Amino acid sequence: MGNGDFSKDGGAEHTITARDVVVRFGNILALDNFSVEVPNGIVGLLGPNGAGKSTFIKTVLGLVSYDSGDVRISGMDPRTDVMAIRDRVGYMPEHDCLVDTMTGLELVTYFGRLSGMTKEDSIPRSHEVLDFVGLGEERYRPTATYSTGMKQRVKLAQAIVHDPEILFLDEPTNGMDPLGREEMLELISRIAASNKSLLISSHILQDMEKVCQHVIIINGGRAITQGPMSVLLDQGRDRKRLQVRGDPKALLAFTDQLRKVREVISVSEEFGQMTIILVNGGPSAPLLDMAKLHGVQVRSYAPDKLTLEGAFIRSVTEGA
Amino acid sequence: MGLDPIGYKPWSGERTEHGRRFLVVAESILRHKLRAKWFLALLVIGTFLVHIMPLFIFSLIPHQGLEAEVMRNYMGDGLYFIFEVILVALVCSDLISEDLRSNSFILYVSRAMGVKGYLLGKWTGAMITIGLFTLLPPLAVAIAITATQSGSDYLGSLAVIGQTLLAGAWSAAMLVPAGLAVSSLTRKKTYASVGTFMFFFGMMIVAGIFSGLSQDWSMLNPSEVLYQSHTVLYGLELSESVNRYLLGAMAFLLTVPPMALVYYRIMRKEVGK
Repeated sequence: MGNGDFSKDGGAEHTITARDVVVRFGNILALDNFSVEVPNGIVGLLGPNGAGKSTFIKTVLGLVSYDSGDVRISGMDPRTDVMAIRDRVGYMPEHDCLVDTMTGLELVTYFGRLSGMTKEDSIPRSHEVLDFVGLGEERYRPTATYSTGMKQRVKLAQAIVHDPEILFLDEPTNGMDPLGREEMLELISRIAASNKSLLISSHILQDMEKVCQHVIIINGGRAITQGPMSVLLDQGRDRKRLQVRGDPKALLAFTDQLRKVREVISVSEEFGQMTIILVNGGPSAPLLDMAKLHGVQVRSYAPDKLTLEGAFIRSVTEGA
Repeated sequence: MGLDPIGYKPWSGERTEHGRRFLVVAESILRHKLRAKWFLALLVIGTFLVHIMPLFIFSLIPHQGLEAEVMRNYMGDGLYFIFEVILVALVCSDLISEDLRSNSFILYVSRAMGVKGYLLGKWTGAMITIGLFTLLPPLAVAIAITATQSGSDYLGSLAVIGQTLLAGAWSAAMLVPAGLAVSSLTRKKTYASVGTFMFFFGMMIVAGIFSGLSQDWSMLNPSEVLYQSHTVLYGLELSESVNRYLLGAMAFLLTVPPMALVYYRIMRKEVGK
């Protein structure tokens, strides 16, 4: 695995592999020795703006040519097998991309035919996928009249109409209301349940945490962290978070004493409250006694649960 | 809206060949244009003014057979060219510009057709649509003249019908690339249609101003290029004053560089490289 690999994933089959891929746009290095292995299932592609997420997706689709390195999609090379790859891939772009003059049904049927379906196949299939994404009678209206949520559903429908093996979803919940977001995540889970690979790029990390089984974090054109979501979030399993309040001198004495008996990872203070991250290595009673002895008030003492947002920020700041 | 408790169903049909998918784009363009009232109105008016009269006149006047010169003169008529320019300006205006404005081209090029298939589809769609004016009616005129001829040289007339087929297709092929190129330069179809019309009109004006200095300048006039290229296609003799190299250069410049420009615009501005 590439940079920042935090776990092996048990020899899982990889649908996409990229090794030392370099993509330049003039003087700008968009992908810098980029290496990833994308397994089956729902994979989150995370990174700040300009990190290289879209460039990676376009490289895989054969829309952007790479200067060096090697990319494989289901064993195929996007340089030589670009058409075969595109038949196996569905793409839901981030921005508005619907043809205003077409109805939802016309649009999905049209792009189904462009993906290789016959007219006889694409019409019933379009109704089927529009039913699946939850677009009812609205499918007969021009897409120009759609709400953001409806547009997102049609974008998903056109991406899955030809039943691709791999789906690229760029910000699938962007601009949707909370109910719409939940429904979109439910759709994503249902698609993945039929043995598809989904690569999802999003800034909404709570959504990613709900559906993704695997995470790739990109920054500065490099994959800085990648691996199963459970392993990433489990990194805080052996740590505890202690939050205390009190007189500054007492807090200082308490932390000095604590360092002597326990392994302290970090100490931070904000608005008079001190947060201490320490390795979970013993019973809590002596620690509470120590706090009482120094006149320090313990506000909380709990496992240091890592969220995806925390893991993302840590990866990006550490990798910067 | 709201989700039904239905699962995702796979599809297991046969895929069509990659090389034929551009025809789906072309078919969609033709269907879309044929649903537009302005297009139908323009087609009917243009056909009536440009094609119906010659059809009756040439058929009714006693004639031995279908002559290449008659067809060349009829297809080189100024009204034929003006209607063709108006149609190209209006038909091509939204073909690229609307896709750039709505970003929908990304849905095309991310499929197994690529930028070249996308452009081929747009070009073919425009060609078929314009061909409804430049190809089908002249073919009908040629067939009507052949059907009413008094002579027995039907083979000769058939050859002219074949030449008419080529001339009609070339009429569209010569103007469509410029229409697509102007459409790729803007995200507004109004600008594209006015720009295309002004492009051809501007060339005609420049040619008119400078042709007094040298006859070679007349080759800047697309109407003149079309007339002279029809002369070649019908196998007639070019006038001594026509510079053959300039004619070839203009035919090339009006067809290849505009399509290259459209390709470059899409690759550069939208695909990203």
